Amino acid sequence: MTVAQRSNVHVSGQGSATMFFAHGFGCDQNMFRFLAPQFADRYKVVLFDLVGSGASDLRAYDPDKYNSLQGYADDVLEIVKEFSEGPAIFVGHSVSAMIGMLATLKEPRLFAAQIMIGPSPCYINDSETNYVGGFTQEDIDSLLDTLEGNYLGWSSNMAPAIMGAPDQPELAEELTNSFCRTDPTIAKQFAHVTFLSDTRAELLQLAAPTLILQNSDDLIAPVTVGEYMQATLPNSTLVIIDNVGHCPHLSAPSQSADAMNAFLRKEGL
Amino acid sequence: MQTDAHGLIRRVNHLFCKWVGQDATELIGKRKIQELFTMGGRIFHQTHWVPLMQMQHSVSEVKFDLVKKDGNTVPIVLNGICHEQDGAIVHDLAAFVARDRDLYEREILATGKRLAEVAATTARLEEAAKDRALFAEQMLGIVSHDLRNPLAVVEMSALGLLGAGVTPEQTVALERIGRATERASRLIRELLDFTQARIGSGLAVQLKPVNLTVVINECVDELRQAFPETVLRYSCEDDGQCEADADRLIQLVGNLVTNAIAYGAPDRAITIASSITADTCTISVHNEGQPIPPLLLAELFQPMTRGHQGPDGKRSVGLGLYIVREIAKAHHGQVSVISTVDEGTMFTVHLPRFLATQEI
Repeated sequence: MTVAQRSNVHVSGQGSATMFFAHGFGCDQNMFRFLAPQFADRYKVVLFDLVGSGASDLRAYDPDKYNSLQGYADDVLEIVKEFSEGPAIFVGHSVSAMIGMLATLKEPRLFAAQIMIGPSPCYINDSETNYVGGFTQEDIDSLLDTLEGNYLGWSSNMAPAIMGAPDQPELAEELTNSFCRTDPTIAKQFAHVTFLSDTRAELLQLAAPTLILQNSDDLIAPVTVGEYMQATLPNSTLVIIDNVGHCPHLSAPSQSADAMNAFLRKEGL
Repeated sequence: MQTDAHGLIRRVNHLFCKWVGQDATELIGKRKIQELFTMGGRIFHQTHWVPLMQMQHSVSEVKFDLVKKDGNTVPIVLNGICHEQDGAIVHDLAAFVARDRDLYEREILATGKRLAEVAATTARLEEAAKDRALFAEQMLGIVSHDLRNPLAVVEMSALGLLGAGVTPEQTVALERIGRATERASRLIRELLDFTQARIGSGLAVQLKPVNLTVVINECVDELRQAFPETVLRYSCEDDGQCEADADRLIQLVGNLVTNAIAYGAPDRAITIASSITADTCTISVHNEGQPIPPLLLAELFQPMTRGHQGPDGKRSVGLGLYIVREIAKAHHGQVSVISTVDEGTMFTVHLPRFLATQEI
């Protein structure tokens, strides 16, 4: 199994630097369908799925390896080594921002810059250090509950009958929620690894120039977390987009691209 | 119901208000749909529902738990579609209460979990049993191997004492020692063969050209001396060379005859027969007497199988027929048995006549 098959790597565009886009917990590389094409005229663009998500090869899913973010970071290093031309710019959404950071800390010379979209180094509140991640352990247990409830729900398909026939012909196929479909056992472990991770200590070591891109109203990564990251990361810029939700690359792709371009220009990339 | 692109409720029906225990006036323009979910549901909404809505403009059958005003939850299945209305993006949502389905699904999940646990336990026990069995067989092999030397010392010393200067009583005792050590040696040989067949690569045989009739004749002569009270008849139809391990053939016939003596009618003759065709050697041993019970017949060649009416200590572990089968197998042959009231019991062994040349 090649790295490309394992991680469902898709390459497009051309340029003197390579941008790697990594999706977060929930969906797959389709999340970048509005954002990534905006860079393909100036950069080589590499999209991939985390192993266990999207169309990655599930045979490669080793529960021991992927029991920590480092397992995913090691995959990122393999992908970057194989597909990078010129300086590498890593764009990570949500948990993948932290995966990108871990990869960079392991082999700093491979990465020229980090772009973190809606990142959080720790989702759980920590009263000892007065850190507010936004969630409690019970909230994460409640998420695992919701995940369980939805494995079975997605197998049937009553929606077309209930919603009436929509005017988009592609809808029938897409009604299966295919972009966010994951193997139930993997989804559960990934949720554990994502929401119980704590990489606050590593932030201090990240020397690479970093852009933190963040929505003004985000349940998963509140603005306070973005501010914490900016204060802690040695070399970072925080840009807050006036927008709701956890996915500015989907809900505000132009504003996201503008902020990213400004950052890349400043870094001479 | 209808919400704006961020989930803010724009329109809602009575039924939904009843589910969440709030008036329409408390909801419309004031609450977002996701604010009515459990925290897990809200995270899932952000990580799955919203991106799906943005990518494919519709989402089907996602389960959420609504939190009522009194803190209780109502499981719902939510479907949504996104479209433009008066220049703004709106979401039309349809929900149905899925309490029965929720119970049913939780039952399925719980059953699945229980099944997985049971399967894991079974696998663990099987593994442990296999380990124990293998260990026991290895022990058997080691112990029987190490018993051979002290036994040989006993046998040789008894033989050495026979002769000059022993009283008749002592002679009887020494002969008894001789017979007992002989039986013990045979048992050890069988145990070693058994362990070799079970945990090794099968019984070892050295195939050489032999004359079948000569080998069996020798064997029957020895058996006649060992069992003087029993009549052993040997008939051979054809004479000829074949490829076999002579010692193993003697062991095979010996085991079958000992078996026939042990379980056959006491005062009836035992018939040994052999024949050779162009490609097959056949050896059979026949005895009269009670047939083998059908239930026992099925597992006759398994190790540790013994007949019901245990005879007077002539066989002790039930390895004889197992070793017969293993010898036949090592010769690429097979053994079968027919046992009826009228015909008596007949074991038949078929072996390829020239194994080596056949394989070329």
